[in-house]
Amino acid sequence: MNTDHDLVVIGGGPAGIAAASTAASFGLRVAIIDERVTFGGQIFKRLGDGFDLESPEALGKDYARGARLIQELEQSEISKFNSTTVLTIEDNQIITSHPVDGVRRFSCKALVIAPGAYDRPVVFPGWTLPGVMTAGAVQTLVKTQQISPGKRIFFAGSGPLALAFSAQLIKYGAPVFKVIESAPFPSPTKLLGLLSSIKGNWDLAGDAIRYRATLLSHHVPFHYGRIITKAEGSGRVEAVTHARVDKDWNPIKGTEIVEPADTLCLGYGFFPSHELFRLLDCDFDYDETRGGFTVSKDSWGLTKSSSPLAIYAVGDGTGVTGSYSAEAQGRLAGLHIANHLGSLSTQERDRRSKNFRKELQQRNDFQRAINKMFEVKQGIYRLAEANTVICRCESVRAKEIDPVIDSTCDVSVVKSYSRAGMGLCQARNCQRQIAAMIAIRHKISISEIPFQTPRMPVKPVEIGKIADPSIREEKYFIQ
Amino acid sequence: MKERSPFLVGYLDNETNQSALPKSSDVVIIGGGLLGTSLAYYLSKSKVETVLIERDDINREASGTNAGSFHFQIALHQLTPNMSESEKRRLADEVRLQVDAASLWDEIERELDADLGVHFDGGIMVAETEDEMRVLKEKDAIEKEAGLESHILVGDEMRTFAPYLAPDLAGISFCPREGHANPLLVGPTYAYRAWQNGAHFRTGCDVTRIERINVGGDLKGRRFRVVTSRGVIECNRVVNATGAWAAELSSQLGLRIPLGLSGLHVNVTEPREYFLKSMVQHIGRRLTLKQTHNNTFIIGGGWPSREEKFPKRYSNTWSSTAGNLAVALRVLPMLADVKLLRTWSGVWAFTKDFKPILGESEKVPGYHIAMVPTGFTLGPMVAQMLSQYMTATPGKGKLPSEFNIDREVA
Ligand SMILES: Cc1cc2nc3c(=O)[nH]c(=O)nc-3n(C[C@H](O)[C@H](O)[C@H](O)COP(=O)(O)OP(=O)(O)OC[C@H]3O[C@@H](n4cnc5c(N)ncnc54)[C@H](O)[C@@H]3O)c2cc1C
Ligand SMILES: Cc1cc2nc3c(=O)[nH]c(=O)nc-3n(C[C@H](O)[C@H](O)[C@H](O)COP(=O)(O)OP(=O)(O)OC[C@H]3O[C@@H](n4cnc5c(N)ncnc54)[C@H](O)[C@@H]3O)c2cc1C
Repeated sequence: MNTDHDLVVIGGGPAGIAAASTAASFGLRVAIIDERVTFGGQIFKRLGDGFDLESPEALGKDYARGARLIQELEQSEISKFNSTTVLTIEDNQIITSHPVDGVRRFSCKALVIAPGAYDRPVVFPGWTLPGVMTAGAVQTLVKTQQISPGKRIFFAGSGPLALAFSAQLIKYGAPVFKVIESAPFPSPTKLLGLLSSIKGNWDLAGDAIRYRATLLSHHVPFHYGRIITKAEGSGRVEAVTHARVDKDWNPIKGTEIVEPADTLCLGYGFFPSHELFRLLDCDFDYDETRGGFTVSKDSWGLTKSSSPLAIYAVGDGTGVTGSYSAEAQGRLAGLHIANHLGSLSTQERDRRSKNFRKELQQRNDFQRAINKMFEVKQGIYRLAEANTVICRCESVRAKEIDPVIDSTCDVSVVKSYSRAGMGLCQARNCQRQIAAMIAIRHKISISEIPFQTPRMPVKPVEIGKIADPSIREEKYFIQ
Repeated sequence: MKERSPFLVGYLDNETNQSALPKSSDVVIIGGGLLGTSLAYYLSKSKVETVLIERDDINREASGTNAGSFHFQIALHQLTPNMSESEKRRLADEVRLQVDAASLWDEIERELDADLGVHFDGGIMVAETEDEMRVLKEKDAIEKEAGLESHILVGDEMRTFAPYLAPDLAGISFCPREGHANPLLVGPTYAYRAWQNGAHFRTGCDVTRIERINVGGDLKGRRFRVVTSRGVIECNRVVNATGAWAAELSSQLGLRIPLGLSGLHVNVTEPREYFLKSMVQHIGRRLTLKQTHNNTFIIGGGWPSREEKFPKRYSNTWSSTAGNLAVALRVLPMLADVKLLRTWSGVWAFTKDFKPILGESEKVPGYHIAMVPTGFTLGPMVAQMLSQYMTATPGKGKLPSEFNIDREVA
């Protein structure tokens, strides 16, 4: 099946929905694709089947905002394709797979890629033990299934989401007993920086205060300047160790504390999903706190790439800035595309974009001030010991990677000699850790170490779902 | 877990590799693929002063992207319709060369004292139609004559022998001698052992020009100036082992090396419980399929990847992915629910007559080329042949005349 559209949007989170709805409102033929069963992305997770919502307000205003966006999508003429995974983009073809309908190809004049982000993996002794979970996974479990993963949850993380996540979990009744944050207690200058960008962000600031209050009222201690260093247990987590950090987040010897816990929840921020951008040869910048490599784009979201399509990058997949900013970015891209394809005058585009641009500016200023307070430091990459598994899919330990790193700066070389990064997660979990190990060994910046060569498919897919007997190779001689 | 190869420890020690390019050497090898590294090993074992220069890291091009199969059976691309007797003789010669290579692979792990994942688990070649079956029998006869053991199996015999294959295939041939090794380890291990023997390696060092100096001077004098991105080195003998790029540098010396280039597509899947001991190929369609000892399946066989401008790697296409996988499923239907993890591609260099280009140029004495199309299977062996030629008393070394590097292949 081949489907032709003016605009195809990959990713049905706030960024993608906003871009699709905005463009569609000017009469463009738009398709939106998401691999999940429902639209809404990460933040607007809806309850699992069989769970009734008794009080929507318990889910917070994010849920309500999400419901509005989804309604906007549902009421539009947009063609919606869920459970549809984009596998690759080749020339002007977007190639997808669906569990029942199989391969579907889309072609279009403009493409928006809004793939979101995933939890930043943190590698330390014990990180692969059952009971160690990322915040996103715990949140999904608690929000959509209303199941708590444990009876005694220790929360380790950093940044505004660490606070938000832990408070949300507590509100849902999950037994979080302590929270640690790697960043130091915010200095007065950083707080001032935050205050000066608070305009337009009172809602977020208010959220933060409420989250803090939740922790206080539940008597859950919150410690600044500490990092997780170990998880131990036979068969699953039984104890966690954490320590004070220096200014680079290196754990300070002698400050370790060991505590019993059955679940360790990690919320150290996010990595953008940039596989598709890399496949398209887009340019990248580097910002550790926003998740490392972030795709370069102009103020409308337009990227430079080797593709013949106009490619827009919006939302957390382009560097993590949060859902308000994601939505505003999506609106701006939608307006630019409507203009680009002749459905909206330049004057009108600029007029309509003013409010979104202002919103984006304010959100980004605030985000920058927050990021300053919670800058991710290189110590996060120094927690592994010789015996720590770095690549969990292939069970490759640090001591097996170290000797290879001695003679190369190339993650692809490390991969081919050690198998680290060859597994089912397609190196999403270990690749930056390995890059950091190389950077430390060769005294260069981690931003100088590129990813391995991007290849399709960007997500694993069953052979039987994509094999196509109608494609015949050039014959040698037997007819 | 099994310990990994010893070469990882101190391999191409970083400090040595970062230090300046030596000013001169007897031999300079350009290219750190399997041909270059194995030649460096055999030369350094004979105490020949050797510097190997590689523009990237060792083993990153064809030698590190291939599927690691030992191809001893005659394959699809070697066959032509209605073969004449002389063509059959030519094929039999090729098979003999491959059989020789097999004995080198028998010994290689002992020679290099390392686990290189060498396995001789046999190779199956399937025929889907009766037409293909006829060709399979024809090729089988040639192989037998050349001394390669193989068996034809059809019907229930085939289904009992290989119950995992689609039951309706016309038949198969089975060659117990075929096998595979880990291509990611062989070249680097040769390099490591060569380095221990005293060969020098410089990676990240791009050769941009080769100049002849001292033309007509005596044999002991330096005859070439090799200009690189990390400085200049003079040498007595140059070996061009740059694989797909061999023609570019050669043309600077006025030599025309007629190479064909083709980007090849490879797929790799998630691991599954080990069951497929033997490699599987197809006599009529592009397919090589094997289960590695890491339990993943590697599926290739000559589907094209798309040319890109260096240094960008050739990109994979959807049609090669979906097409190649369909051939694999036709032969092994039980792979349907195995997940494809990744594709990759490499550039394959071949000669029109599929023979190696190996030896010293008569037009430019001292200039050597080492390239061979089935380079994983045959690379170490032809490197050994070239090393023997280069260490023989001048004028006494011999290489098969049909490998002649000055030959013109139409
Ligand atoms: C686990 C997690 C939990 C979070 N929880 C909160 C929270 O509670 N409160 C808060 O304020 N912020 C939260 N955030 C941050 C917030 O979700 C993001 O800022 C916001 O969702 C970003 O919107 P987006 O549209 O860029 O990406 P997303 O909302 O992540 O949407 C991206 C969509 O793209 C789809 N996709 C990606 N790749 C493909 C592909 N190849 N083919 C098809 N579809 C694809 C995904 O399925 C996904 O639905 C969370 C983030 C994460 C990762
Ligand atoms: C996908 C694929 C699958 C294959 N499968 C098989 C198989 O199963 N069995 C088999 O027998 N054969 C197979 N082959 C063929 C085999 O891989 C090659 O014939 C063999 O590896 C060639 O080795 P090489 O050393 O000549 O070339 P390469 O490995 O390509 O090495 C050449 C080196 O020269 C370097 N170089 C180039 N120019 C310069 C310069 N100017 N300065 C410095 N360095 C330079 C390159 O960087 C490169 O490292 C396959 C090939 C491919 C691509």
